[in-house]
Amino acid sequence: MAEVNYIVEALKFMVLGMGVVFLFLFLLVQVIKIQAWLIAKYFPETTPKAPATPVANTTEDENRRVAVIIAAVSEFRKNKS
Amino acid sequence: MKLKQIFISLLFAMFALTTLLQASSSDVATEVVVQEESTEKKAYEPKSIGELATSFMETTGINAILDVNDGEMTSEPKGPEYEREMTWFESSLGRIIMILIVFILFYLAIAKNFEPLLLIPIAFGGLLANIPLAGMGGEHGMLGIIYNMGIANEFFPLLIFMGVGAMTDFGPLLANPKTAILGGAAQFGIFGSLVGAVIIGFDIQDASAISIIGGADGPTSIFIANRLAPDLLGAIAVAAYSYMALVPVIQPPIMRALTNKEERRIVMRTTRKIHRLEKLIFPIVVLMLALLILPESAPLIGAFAFGNFAKESGVVDRLSDTMQNSLINIVTIFLGLGVGSKLAADKFLVLETMGIMIIGLIAFSIGTATGVLMAKLMNKFSDEPINPLIGAAGVSAVPMSARVVSKVGSEEKPGNVLLMHAMGPNVAGVIGSAVAAGVLLSIFK
Repeated sequence: MAEVNYIVEALKFMVLGMGVVFLFLFLLVQVIKIQAWLIAKYFPETTPKAPATPVANTTEDENRRVAVIIAAVSEFRKNKS
Repeated sequence: MKLKQIFISLLFAMFALTTLLQASSSDVATEVVVQEESTEKKAYEPKSIGELATSFMETTGINAILDVNDGEMTSEPKGPEYEREMTWFESSLGRIIMILIVFILFYLAIAKNFEPLLLIPIAFGGLLANIPLAGMGGEHGMLGIIYNMGIANEFFPLLIFMGVGAMTDFGPLLANPKTAILGGAAQFGIFGSLVGAVIIGFDIQDASAISIIGGADGPTSIFIANRLAPDLLGAIAVAAYSYMALVPVIQPPIMRALTNKEERRIVMRTTRKIHRLEKLIFPIVVLMLALLILPESAPLIGAFAFGNFAKESGVVDRLSDTMQNSLINIVTIFLGLGVGSKLAADKFLVLETMGIMIIGLIAFSIGTATGVLMAKLMNKFSDEPINPLIGAAGVSAVPMSARVVSKVGSEEKPGNVLLMHAMGPNVAGVIGSAVAAGVLLSIFK
């Protein structure tokens, strides 16, 4: 048997390897696109609207609570001194 | 100065010991018996002070380093039958060189802050592995046990992959899927350097293991090195991690050389909003693709997908939190020490190491270059502007290379934040190098 030319072998590896890597990523890109399209069609984005109001409320509540706590603490400190 | 002090104190100790021995030889007799008990219970024969002193001298590290023909054996985690006698170089000068290398690694990690999380455990493992006579890397040595526990069976790299999966956000990739192709282009580094390594004269199987360094992915490199070229594991792991640490040094000049000012200033459009379901389904989709095309890559991609799925599911925060923090930290300690055991002089100071370091660097540079060139090409043919710099993030050093891209971009045009855009190719690079690894494994199956 003739001596194996390993450089040619390595080049073959390269063709196969890069082919598979690109094929994989190309399929991945297509699948992501299909998936995004399907999800946009069947599960339209409704979530951001619903939590919008409660979120605002809670932050307002939070602010009020913080204000109350600060007032209480400063009152307490005043009494202490 | 320091050496002198140590030497003098050692002399003192010796002196004190001999006088003590003369004073009460019976005490010492029991001590020696206790020492020997661990190996084999032998009837103790009376020894003179001289004999005791010389037998002690033979067990010191000084003697092991100075006496070059003492027939010390290498320590192999696989067991004593794989051991061989050390050459004079390995048991004396080699150790000293390795310990100096370890100190350089410490310096890089502490003063220069190059991947300290990895370099510190690896370098300390290297220090321990070079202790003469202790057999730390042997079957029953600490490092050997760690090595057998998770490196010889490729378990630790997979756990790391799980943690990386749990840390990765695929949002940027999902928002701009085209950029995934850039993560593929950077894998040219792997196969280009494979050709290079074969030309230099490496065996084709070893060459494949080495070239994975071009993927700039530590766990994948260890995984592959273990399967294809276990003897070269130490050098490959050290090369892979040191180049990962050197990303901010190696990449920018290549990126600048291949792009012009105009291209570097390109501003990319803001990405679209991602539906939560998309992120949730994505790891499953990747796994399905791997299953159909390349089952050989299943361990790597499987672990990665599991980590990511646990994170995106949103209901097992405790688990994903463990994977991202405690688990990956524990495994990093073990992985570092285990890899460090391969820094023993008899394994690291071989001619191949030099070649591996050089090929690793070439692999890494080619990967960066092809990524940038591919991005330039995409920019020409795409209707959306693509900044060619993000191609450099296709090598999978997550998130380091994406950060470097962002930094170079904002130097050219302040306020131009490319980080999110660069994360797309970056995480695609992780998948790409896992796929490339799978291809190499399938060839040598």
